[in-house]
Amino acid sequence: MLPISYGTAIIVFCIGLYTILSKRNLFKTVIGLSLMEGGVLMLITSSGYVPGGVPALLPFAGGEPVNPLPHSFTLTAIVIGAADVALALAFIIKIHRRYGTVDIDKIRGLRG
Amino acid sequence: MNPVLAIVAPFLAAFTIPLFFVFRKRWIGSSIVLFGILSALLSLFVAAGGERAVVMGGWNPEVGITLVVDSLSTAFLILAALGFSASLSAATEAFGYGPWRFYVLFFLSWAATNGIILTGDLFNLFVFFEIFSVAAYLVVAYPPRSWQAIEAGFKYLIFGTVGALFLLIGIAYAFMATGQLNMAILARVLPRAPETTLSVVIGCLVVGLFIKSGTVPGHFWLPDAHSSAQTPVSALLSGVFVKVSLYALIRLTFLLFGNADGRVFFVLLLFGTVTLCLGHLMAFQQEDIKRLLAYSTVAQVGTIVIAIGCASAGGIAAAVYHAFNHMAAKMGLFLVAGVLAEDRASRDIAQMRGLFRHRPLFVLAFCLFAASIAGIPPLNGFMSKWFLLVAAAERGALIPAAAVVAGTVLSAAYYLRAITAFFSPAETEPPHLRPHPVTGAIVMLLALLGLVLALAPYIDPLREGLLAVGSDTSSGARYIGRVLQ
Repeated sequence: MLPISYGTAIIVFCIGLYTILSKRNLFKTVIGLSLMEGGVLMLITSSGYVPGGVPALLPFAGGEPVNPLPHSFTLTAIVIGAADVALALAFIIKIHRRYGTVDIDKIRGLRG
Repeated sequence: MNPVLAIVAPFLAAFTIPLFFVFRKRWIGSSIVLFGILSALLSLFVAAGGERAVVMGGWNPEVGITLVVDSLSTAFLILAALGFSASLSAATEAFGYGPWRFYVLFFLSWAATNGIILTGDLFNLFVFFEIFSVAAYLVVAYPPRSWQAIEAGFKYLIFGTVGALFLLIGIAYAFMATGQLNMAILARVLPRAPETTLSVVIGCLVVGLFIKSGTVPGHFWLPDAHSSAQTPVSALLSGVFVKVSLYALIRLTFLLFGNADGRVFFVLLLFGTVTLCLGHLMAFQQEDIKRLLAYSTVAQVGTIVIAIGCASAGGIAAAVYHAFNHMAAKMGLFLVAGVLAEDRASRDIAQMRGLFRHRPLFVLAFCLFAASIAGIPPLNGFMSKWFLLVAAAERGALIPAAAVVAGTVLSAAYYLRAITAFFSPAETEPPHLRPHPVTGAIVMLLALLGLVLALAPYIDPLREGLLAVGSDTSSGARYIGRVLQ
């Protein structure tokens, strides 16, 4: 059960990293960022899982609750990630207005 | 004084300036100056208040977020306060008080910088890193009319976010392995984790911090961001922003992995050496003066990473000392280069001929700073490189030490190229000669700071302070004891 969720998270992270490294389209780069973030968040969320655990809500229905701490990290990180993606998209709009393209190779400044 | 004030004061500034814009437009200028002075003074008071650890909200260290002031954070708080005040003064002269959004971002990055320096909690470190980075991307991309700056900001954003995600995944692994996030507790329990886990945690954290600080595989954003940003921002980037990531690198490597795994320091030595060589070689080829200075910053980051990689008290002392020297000299260089480039309306070194006759004091200051960065003997850059070479020799790291010495020669060569241009006769008069009284005063103060730093090994309190930073940080026992007392 658990190894599959961890493995999925790492695979999603790596797909995101590969997207950033290989794609020449700025939008795809941002999609890659979102994928990487999703991978990390999946990993953090699944790390709080307790086999057979119940949701950590008061009052307890009985049984062992899952660890709620990773969930709060995830919420914080989602907010931060949203800010990053929004900023990236705003930059892309500005770049597109100047060059009329979102292809990295055709944008002069983004070299070396 | 509660250390949180050093974080709250700049945040207060950042969130009050928009209110002034809505309700009292005339107060914006004076409020920016007052908030700048307040933030700098509070940072310095917190730094001067002695070592302590405060858990916010009165929780246990296991649960609450700890703010720690120890000798290393004291040193970097002072560095940040000096760097931010100098950049703020230069920015008020360069931009005026009209673009209040810039100052909002400026104060946000200041608050987050102080937060990174003070926090004792790993996840809180990540949050502050992201506040700092988002503000930094926008500060680099200011003003929004400049396309180069927008592109540099975007590039910085992509690299910075990838770095942050590596940092986050490292933090996640550390949390999964131990269930703790407090750095002092982690320092005790993390070495008990399996060796593979530890390697992965170290790898992720170090890769993230390498990208954030501009060490070689992740340095591509640094020259673009430095050369495309406005002059006060370039000075700030080089003087403070890069150093903050290096602070986190010093803190995490020594606290979490200092006793556990010595291999991380070999990696630091290796990448530091590569960064140093590549930075100097690339700087040698640049025609644009700000790109030259930016690649020189890459090389100096490599120097500091080598100093951290020496894994000894002397190495840390050298790293901190060099961080201060580089801050003083490189901020001065960027400010002078900005003024001179504005005179010529060009950043091309070949266009910079004959400027000595027009701005003799600025050019002389440039020579002083360049000599200091290159490491000419009586100046501060030489002193810190000497400390570094001693530490590297004690560690037995002879190739990095040789690279530092060779880099000194190379940097002297490329700085001399710029200086030769300044002193050679001009074909044309520079088109404009706007006076820069504030920038001139800051450059003079930075030169004075450099001279004081050059004497630091002979001034007892400063020398003892530097050595104390080294010995406290390299063992980490004092930090852990203070948090968990």
